[in-house]
Amino acid sequence: MIDFEEELKKFHPSPEVEDAENQIRALDVTDMVDLIVHLEERNNIR
Amino acid sequence: MRCFNCGAELTINPFCTNCGADIREYRRIMWASNQYYNDGLTKAKVRDLSGAVLSLRACLKLNRTNIEARNLLGLVYFEMGEAVAAFSEWVVSKSMKSDKNIADDFMETIQANPSRLATINQSIKKYNQALAYAKQGSLDLAVIQLKKVLQMNPNLVVAYELLGLLYLESEEFKRARRILSQAMRIDRNNTRILYYLKEAEDGIAARFQQDSPRGRKQEGRASADSITYTSGNETIIQPVNTIEKGGSSAAVNIIIGLVIGCALMFFLVLPARIRSASSEMDDQLKEVSDELTVKNADLEEQDKKIEALQSENDELKGSLGDLAGSSGMSERYDHLAEAALNYIKNPEDVTGTEALLKLIPVENSPEETVSLEILPSTSSGLDPTIYSQAFRDLYSYLDNDVSSRAARTYIDSGREKLENDEYQAAIADLLKATEIAPLNDEAWFYLAESYKESGDSIHATQAYSKIVNEMADSPYAGKAKENLSNGAATENDDQGDDNGRAADDNDDNDNTEGALSEEDIAAQQLAAMQVLQAAAGAGTTETGAE
Repeated sequence: MIDFEEELKKFHPSPEVEDAENQIRALDVTDMVDLIVHLEERNNIR
Repeated sequence: MRCFNCGAELTINPFCTNCGADIREYRRIMWASNQYYNDGLTKAKVRDLSGAVLSLRACLKLNRTNIEARNLLGLVYFEMGEAVAAFSEWVVSKSMKSDKNIADDFMETIQANPSRLATINQSIKKYNQALAYAKQGSLDLAVIQLKKVLQMNPNLVVAYELLGLLYLESEEFKRARRILSQAMRIDRNNTRILYYLKEAEDGIAARFQQDSPRGRKQEGRASADSITYTSGNETIIQPVNTIEKGGSSAAVNIIIGLVIGCALMFFLVLPARIRSASSEMDDQLKEVSDELTVKNADLEEQDKKIEALQSENDELKGSLGDLAGSSGMSERYDHLAEAALNYIKNPEDVTGTEALLKLIPVENSPEETVSLEILPSTSSGLDPTIYSQAFRDLYSYLDNDVSSRAARTYIDSGREKLENDEYQAAIADLLKATEIAPLNDEAWFYLAESYKESGDSIHATQAYSKIVNEMADSPYAGKAKENLSNGAATENDDQGDDNGRAADDNDDNDNTEGALSEEDIAAQQLAAMQVLQAAAGAGTTETGAE
């Protein structure tokens, strides 16, 4: 049997059109390449 | 591929020939990103949308600049009904690559239909509200709201998921299965949907076992009487060597069902049908009755018109009859014309003209009286309402002229015949004269003389009496009175020998032809006495008249 309460917690409000701008700003676009660049820069500093 | 450090074009060397950066890990990351993109694309093609989202997100986590992957992720989001998430991805894609980006086309297509976008946004708002209801415990309101959401935005997968969960919570497993199956047509490999669907199937199977009598009875020995095996997500319980009972009970059930159906038809459907038909019949009857009333009114009106026309026709026929025929006006005009023609052609033939004039019936005018004398008169005695003025003038002219002359002719003829002892011929002429001129004393006198000479003392006495009574001023009145005093019969006797008649025949009272009976003689004497008594009042005129 599923736990209704626990399952319900997995649902989140869907972003509305009025919130699209905030949604875009909050979008995390960091990728693995950024991480490599960051690591490379730190190694260079050392 | 360009160097992540300096942006220079990379070669096959494991380092950047421009800046010397190690690009081996970078190459692996790019390769993994492309692998995820390919995986996402494959899943999207087979409508595994949730799986495609996971792969594409992983792809973008490795390489955020993978524009194709981001655009595809936006497209998958839009297909799942999440338009805002799709727009977000496309906007980011556009910001990373402004030229020749297919995200432009996607956004323009959606923005070209504002009403569609508004409907999607409205459905998202309702979904959020339904989620809030569900978290507050108002599951019924949430279900109602989610049904509206799915009517507005049938691709919103999360709405299917939430509605399926709510049905499962309320143990409406069949509904949950149906709604989740619909969601499966959009997103075929959604883990959450599959999970909920399995729960729904389990619930249905459990309920089936509870509801089945055989299942309850044989629950204890199910292992002995049945074979249980699993096919996919379903558990199948197959009876062993079980034969269904005969069809007699099924036939009885069918008959009972038919009887109940017929009873329902008889008690519920038929009365309603009959009432409906009766109402329709009443309406039609009313319409027909109204039409009949109108037709009857028209018919009565037509009958009245026919009666009026018939009476008018009768009047016209009467008028035509008055004008035509032997007694019609045209016939009278013909007689007048013939009389006029005869008068012109034969002026001396006054008797012929007079005879033609006599054929015209004379309706006396109420204000006019018949002329007493044979004198020209302008009065014709014709009814002015029947005859025209011209007719009456012509008739009057002819009648006055011809009558006086005809009377004169008959009188002269009668006197001549009297002198020649042709008494009957004289009487005939003089009678005509008296007809033409009823108050001509000369005609009456000689008529009386003719009667007297012919031996007809009664008519002679009547003629003398007429002169004495009605024409007392006449010069013949004295002679008439004298003859009456002498007695017409006596005179008759005196002259009986002269006429060759046998006076003794009268005295002997024989029944021979021309003899007078005692009653006739008594009547003659009585009439003479009456005339004398009447004449006694005349006084002295008697002498003068003589």
